[in-house]
Amino acid sequence: MADKPDTFSLWDLPLHTSAQLVGFSATLQDRYQGRLQEFGFHTGEEISCLHQPGFGAPRVFRVSNATYSLDRELAEQVLVTRLAGEANA
Amino acid sequence: MPSVLLVGTPNSGKTALFNRLTGLNQRVANYPGITVDLSVGRFASIPELDLVDFPGTYSLRPISEEERVAVAHFDHSLADPEVEHVVCVVDATRLEKSLFFCLQVIRACQRQRRAVTVVANMGDILRRHGLRIDAQGLSSELGVPVLVVSARTGEGLDGVIERVSGDAPVSEPTLSQLNEDAEPDQLIASEGGDADSALYEEAHRLAERYGAPADVLLQTQSQLDRFFLGSATGGMTFALIMLILFQSIFTWSAPAMDAVESGVAALGGWLLPYIPGGVLRDFVADAVFSGIGAFLVFVPQIFVLTFVIGLLEDSGYLARAALICHKPLRFFGLSGKSFIPMLSGVACAIPAIYAARSIESPRARALTYLAIPLMPCSARLPVYTLLIAIFIPRETLFGGLVGWQGLTLFGIYVFGMLAGLTVAGLVNRFTPSQEQMPFMMEMPAYRVPALVPIARKSVQRAQHFVTKAGLVILSVTIVVWTLGYFPNQGADLGASWLGTLGQWIEPLFQPLGLDWRYGVAIVSAFLAREVFVGTLGTIMGIEGAEENIVPLVEQVQASALPLGSGLALMVFFAIALQCVSTVAILAKEAQSWRIAINMVIAYLLLAWLAAWVTFQVTTALV
Repeated sequence: MADKPDTFSLWDLPLHTSAQLVGFSATLQDRYQGRLQEFGFHTGEEISCLHQPGFGAPRVFRVSNATYSLDRELAEQVLVTRLAGEANA
Repeated sequence: MPSVLLVGTPNSGKTALFNRLTGLNQRVANYPGITVDLSVGRFASIPELDLVDFPGTYSLRPISEEERVAVAHFDHSLADPEVEHVVCVVDATRLEKSLFFCLQVIRACQRQRRAVTVVANMGDILRRHGLRIDAQGLSSELGVPVLVVSARTGEGLDGVIERVSGDAPVSEPTLSQLNEDAEPDQLIASEGGDADSALYEEAHRLAERYGAPADVLLQTQSQLDRFFLGSATGGMTFALIMLILFQSIFTWSAPAMDAVESGVAALGGWLLPYIPGGVLRDFVADAVFSGIGAFLVFVPQIFVLTFVIGLLEDSGYLARAALICHKPLRFFGLSGKSFIPMLSGVACAIPAIYAARSIESPRARALTYLAIPLMPCSARLPVYTLLIAIFIPRETLFGGLVGWQGLTLFGIYVFGMLAGLTVAGLVNRFTPSQEQMPFMMEMPAYRVPALVPIARKSVQRAQHFVTKAGLVILSVTIVVWTLGYFPNQGADLGASWLGTLGQWIEPLFQPLGLDWRYGVAIVSAFLAREVFVGTLGTIMGIEGAEENIVPLVEQVQASALPLGSGLALMVFFAIALQCVSTVAILAKEAQSWRIAINMVIAYLLLAWLAAWVTFQVTTALV
């Protein structure tokens, strides 16, 4: 899913870590991309993974001051990169 | 009548505000063509002014059919000269989430020259944490008044009433510069692309500048989520809460259901002596009172289920339950939100179908409708009890710990649940591929549920059931009674039109090893499945079989009905969609009698086929 070496999908974001949103997969439908943007998933925004319930259940992410759960299908189409300060972490 | 529109994002406390402003004076309407609630109420302090509560939505650019209908209706309402004011509710604790929608609404109102007031709800939560938003600064940037209120405590609501009751000035066009070229009559459809990007940036900037920091507010939520979504604790809590929900449907409703039955019976007992004997009295006793009792008895279940689900939803837990269940149900094309309706269906399909309203995805909701009638509802229990008593020995295993009869009942329940999931899964895979909506859900903050509004909503739902479905159920009951009563005034069910019908359809049941008597009992079970036992008893000359099945069990055993026929009957009842009340509710909720009738036909065919296979296999093996 990753377009560049430093870019990975939101689904792959480890628990209790943060990343910066760099864009969306080209295959993501506009209306879902639009809804994510309405939620606050904008390019440059910091996103944190708060919870990863077991058995492949949707994961919980924090954006700005709200939390959302996204399933794998959707989270894999949200592209993020490590935060500047955590580039070599 | 002059009206005020109330709009806002989900979980912004909009409905709580609506309840505060209107008190008990409200009613629920539906958008034409789709099941989306639209509450309308009078302002408690301004009786000449209506308040219209729109469903919560994140945007004026809809992504589902329900949102599309709601947004189109909002668009249409803005053009209505009776609409004097728009109140846009935002969550003061999560300002950015609400502000994108708020900016869209303000722009739409400006184009239609409608006054708008932004109400920042949950001000009490901010204050409790020592936080605040800069309402004055936000107001000056938006060009509209911004009032901080608490729908929960009532603080700040006087300001809202003052705004909507006065001659509020039309908003200054502060934001119009963001999309100056948009046509006024295409205010919603034309937006998107760069215009939306500008709004996102504006919402983000305004929230950062005027909103409250979020860390404190999210800390408690995150701690609770660690418990409720944890691999071990989350699963156990989920199981416990579902057990309580199930108990509420089955056990807590029972006294009220008994009371309703007793009340209807008492009313009949009081009224019937005043009616002359004969057809009229039989009609009132067996058709009218049975028909009324047949749907009134479900009212307590619907109230209790709606109330408990309301508690779960208002507390914030329902979103977590949907998350936990989503993955396994998604395999069958269902949503995480399908779980509660399906679980409710184990008690009764009628409240379960109502509960499916919470599923946003039309496809997942339709598949849930398909699965619910196959859940082993309580009305099937008397039929299973009779058939198990006839065919399954009372022998036990493991020193009396496990009995064959209990195992059989468990097996037929599991069979029903698996059948529901399988049908949903197969239909999902083999129907033209309508796209499935991905799962994206806001995790609302945990809070103590507001009991009064939830109780009020539960009453409304029960009223809706009585007024919308009751007439249909009563009508069908009267038709079936008429078929069973004439032409011999109820003297002999076997010789009635219903009995004749049973004999006509005997060839259908002969391949299952069943004669016309079972055909009549099956046809009469369309009133309610449990009627099968009483009808079979009546045909075999045993009165009161519903209360004491032993004589009927002995008679059927003496008739040497094959085991294959008994198992075929169980399978038939597990699959067939016979309950007219369920069919009526399905038609109402799906907004289509065609869908409901197609489901009846499809499940009858499937039930017969599965029963025939069961009979053939059992006969070959035994």
